[in-house]
Amino acid sequence: MNNYLYDGTPEGLVSAIASILDSGENPEETHLAVRQDTLFEEGLFLRTDSALAEALFERLRQRAPDAVYTLWYFMMAEADGLETSLLRYIALAFEHGDRVNGYLTHADVKGIVGTARKAGRELHRMKGLLRFEQLRDGTWLARMEPDCNVIQPLARHFSRRLRAQEWFIYDARRRSAAHWNGSDLSFGTLEQFSRPELSPEEQAVQQLWQTFFKTIAIPERKNPRLQKSNMPAKYWKYLTEKQGE
Amino acid sequence: MELQEKITILSGAARYDASCASSGCSNDTPRGGMGNTSQGGICHSWADDGRCISLLKILLSNDCRYDCAYCVNRSSNPVPRASFTAREVVDLTMEFYRRNYIEGLFLSSAVNVSPDHTMEAMVQVAEILRNEERFGGYIHLKVIPGSSPELVRRAGLAADRISVNIELPSSESLKRLAPQKSKEAILAPMKLIGAESGMSLVERRKSRKAPRFAPAGQSTQMIIGASPETDLQILRLSQGLYSRMNLKRVYYSAFVPVNEDNRLPVLAAPPLLREHRLYQADWLLRFYGFSAEEILSDDAPNLDESFDPKTAWALRNPGFFPVEVNRADYATLLRVPGIGVTSARRIIAARRFAPISPEGMKKIGVVMKRARYFITCSGRPFERVDQQPARLRQRLLLGDGSEPKLPRQLVLPGLG
Repeated sequence: MNNYLYDGTPEGLVSAIASILDSGENPEETHLAVRQDTLFEEGLFLRTDSALAEALFERLRQRAPDAVYTLWYFMMAEADGLETSLLRYIALAFEHGDRVNGYLTHADVKGIVGTARKAGRELHRMKGLLRFEQLRDGTWLARMEPDCNVIQPLARHFSRRLRAQEWFIYDARRRSAAHWNGSDLSFGTLEQFSRPELSPEEQAVQQLWQTFFKTIAIPERKNPRLQKSNMPAKYWKYLTEKQGE
Repeated sequence: MELQEKITILSGAARYDASCASSGCSNDTPRGGMGNTSQGGICHSWADDGRCISLLKILLSNDCRYDCAYCVNRSSNPVPRASFTAREVVDLTMEFYRRNYIEGLFLSSAVNVSPDHTMEAMVQVAEILRNEERFGGYIHLKVIPGSSPELVRRAGLAADRISVNIELPSSESLKRLAPQKSKEAILAPMKLIGAESGMSLVERRKSRKAPRFAPAGQSTQMIIGASPETDLQILRLSQGLYSRMNLKRVYYSAFVPVNEDNRLPVLAAPPLLREHRLYQADWLLRFYGFSAEEILSDDAPNLDESFDPKTAWALRNPGFFPVEVNRADYATLLRVPGIGVTSARRIIAARRFAPISPEGMKKIGVVMKRARYFITCSGRPFERVDQQPARLRQRLLLGDGSEPKLPRQLVLPGLG
């Protein structure tokens, strides 16, 4: 088994995979991990090379466009410890093209595709569960703490849907924010965040929604377990209808 | 009346409508407007009964002149009555949509003056949303039986989906429990909707500018357990609605006794398991290539409570099994209990690389708890397939048998 290390950044990961594949190493006999800077750590450190990472992306796009999508979603999941699986997955993608996503009986493919799917699921979930509040200046703010880093595709979704209003999405876990000004989308990070004041009518609309939420359930069919399994409690913190529970 | 109070009355009155789908069509946001729809639909919340909330599901009015036995809004019920103005519904929809609470509006109504009077008011709400607010989100309109074809057409042009409730599974039950409604008045708009959306599809093939008529199709719903029909009768009806009327969905709504009425059965609880089994059977009709007559027969016209309908079919048809997962075609794989549409597709994709082993079946996501008794992997069975249906039934009910979970029998000393 040949051990390799990289710096822990997404770009470093792709560039490390590129140099291993270029070296002609057999991926099935190779191990890739993040450098921990401990004594006696074994393995060859591969320096991050943007050009190398870029070139790998481009070649993969030609050979297996679906695998690029999978890779994109996989990166959103920010999963640890699957570097070796990703190396083998990409090697298989070059070998088999887009069919690779169907090779679910292969443990590494299963790991990568499964993790990517997890991010895709959360992105879809957030499209429904994100809540915007109107601020005093008439702009809108939505806060969230998703497990996966979904802010980019999520913001693109709302830039199409809520095109006519100016809004911000804030990811409190990563301190990152997206801003739509009515025509352009921009992304950044925030050092500090305090929730701005809400518009005077915001409270009234939130109450109407809470009333609707309460009365739309059929009392004879009450089923909190089903509710929780569809809408896990970790998302309740920012849900208007779940405030005060 | 305060808006809060109106919402309480009119969403409480709308909650017995089962549909809340926002899927089936994808629209872009209109120029200068707000809102789009996505093919797969989006759920925005889940209510305390576990059902998803995707649309603002509400009645325009609950002031009804009909007296249907099962309905909470019937005229003889002493419930508070309320009506929205068109503007109120439009504003609520827009305010909720801006905050991402909903995908759009599902508007229904009680009938007061006449079907046309109510239908006209509902269509107006949809038209204001589309034309004045330039709203591109999802609109589902309920069609009032007996309303004029012209209004049904306008509804179809403004809405993404329209539906007519069939209410009960037979015309006899309709006569008995909803004497002011008739089968003809319900089926006429259904047929009209089917014909109009068919024509719109043809026109749109010629020109993309041709108007769209209810692009997400039509659905319907019926109440289960308020009348004596068997599951076979219900499934035959659904089968006919799917094949002849081209419906997108039939919803089944377990009867919730909200009224005391000697025409209605007395139930301890809504028949939720029966509703669940009917939905499973409905899926078999739509996605698994089963017919109503394969799922049930005149000798056994009701769905088994202990087994899902596919497992029940497999138990009655041991000759069909075991299925060899490395060779069987898609349609055959779909008939195996524990293998669904997704896992059947995955099996076919994965076996192009290498024959699938028992471990591989688990990785793919097959429910081996059920499938193990019905398949072989490259000729090898998982379980010695027991040809005695009675014993197989028991093993399916109790799990894999490694831990005997038999109901403990109480043995009393001195007896037996």
